[in-house]
Amino acid sequence: MAFQVTLPKIGFSMNEGILSEWLFEDGAQVAEGQPLYSIESDKSTNEVESPASGTLKIIGEIGETYEVGTVIAEIG
Amino acid sequence: MADKQFVADSPALLDIYKRAALLKANDERARKVILSGQVAMAYYSYRGQEIIPSVMGNVLRDDDTICTIYRGIHDMLGKGFPLKELWAELAGRSTGSCKGKGGPMHLTYPPKGIMVTTGIVGSSAPIANGLAWAAQLDKSDRVSVCTFGDGASNIGAVHEAMNLASVWKLPTIFVCQNNLFAEHTKFEKMTGGQNIANRADGYGMPGVRVDGNDPEAMYSAFAEAVARARAGEGPTLLECMTFRFFGHNFGDDDSYIPPEQKAAAMEADPVPRFRARLIADRIASEDELAAFESDVEGQISEALEFALSSPWPTADELRFDVFEKEIAA
Repeated sequence: MAFQVTLPKIGFSMNEGILSEWLFEDGAQVAEGQPLYSIESDKSTNEVESPASGTLKIIGEIGETYEVGTVIAEIG
Repeated sequence: MADKQFVADSPALLDIYKRAALLKANDERARKVILSGQVAMAYYSYRGQEIIPSVMGNVLRDDDTICTIYRGIHDMLGKGFPLKELWAELAGRSTGSCKGKGGPMHLTYPPKGIMVTTGIVGSSAPIANGLAWAAQLDKSDRVSVCTFGDGASNIGAVHEAMNLASVWKLPTIFVCQNNLFAEHTKFEKMTGGQNIANRADGYGMPGVRVDGNDPEAMYSAFAEAVARARAGEGPTLLECMTFRFFGHNFGDDDSYIPPEQKAAAMEADPVPRFRARLIADRIASEDELAAFESDVEGQISEALEFALSSPWPTADELRFDVFEKEIAA
């Protein structure tokens, strides 16, 4: 089963975040622990590591705002 | 108590290390699952402060009580909070220690004396006094620990509690974990006198500043305070010097922490330093510690899986655990 990458809550008052960059292209092979994407929230930008290894299927679009918990990619 | 020396023996040191290794691994996992989006929670990383609660957990009995604040998961896990109930509570699931209704800010597990995690800075002190007073009224020799940070040492309730504990000779141990930052404010900028332990003088109780990252120094200071409290000789204020590696709230940009200060603290990471020392002194072998650490990772994985496969509390649960009897639907 594909691993679902969901928008994390990183900040006490964070309920949503802006997906600012994908660091891999759709369909790329990614490894657990590699920086995968960055999000902006609460005035800070965070690079987020890939939680799993496999083929990346990008769902979330750059520049869009998503609620915490939204599935933004799958790794299978 | 002054004539007695409290020295951690080899079994105690090994136990303290094992608690610290569990705390370190649990914090690393927590940050990982938050970033991966698996668990959404407010999180205050304690990484770097593992030795203090590991010593407390070693010295204290299950019937001794502890109260902490919201950045005190290490205090609770060090005292023996079971991993499954912990992770289920962190994830807000019905199998958590508070049925998922407390979350990371309100960890409670009375069977291990883990009484209160409060969301209000400084508020752990009066509550700990209440538990200490109960022990005194019960004629029990159990002790009550209250942990707080350098910021809370400037809160009125902490001072009121220290005064009353001294007057009534309560078995309260005030453990200040001075990590040099109160949320985003430097210790130097908001604490008069620059020494919290010295304030104990004003209340007529012993005050000791100790290197909270040194397991042996921490053990000696804490075990002496516990022995004093058990003997009915009253409270102690400990100021345990330490540092937190990942800022106040996980997700901070940490720009208010001088990079060289943070780098130096991480370079002096107390957990691997303690590990190397145990091996050098032949208290434990590399293989033994590696096997333990691997086992801990497995236990955390199992607890996380248990949490994530557990149901959320139902809306109907809102009616329970607020008052003694349920609220009518």
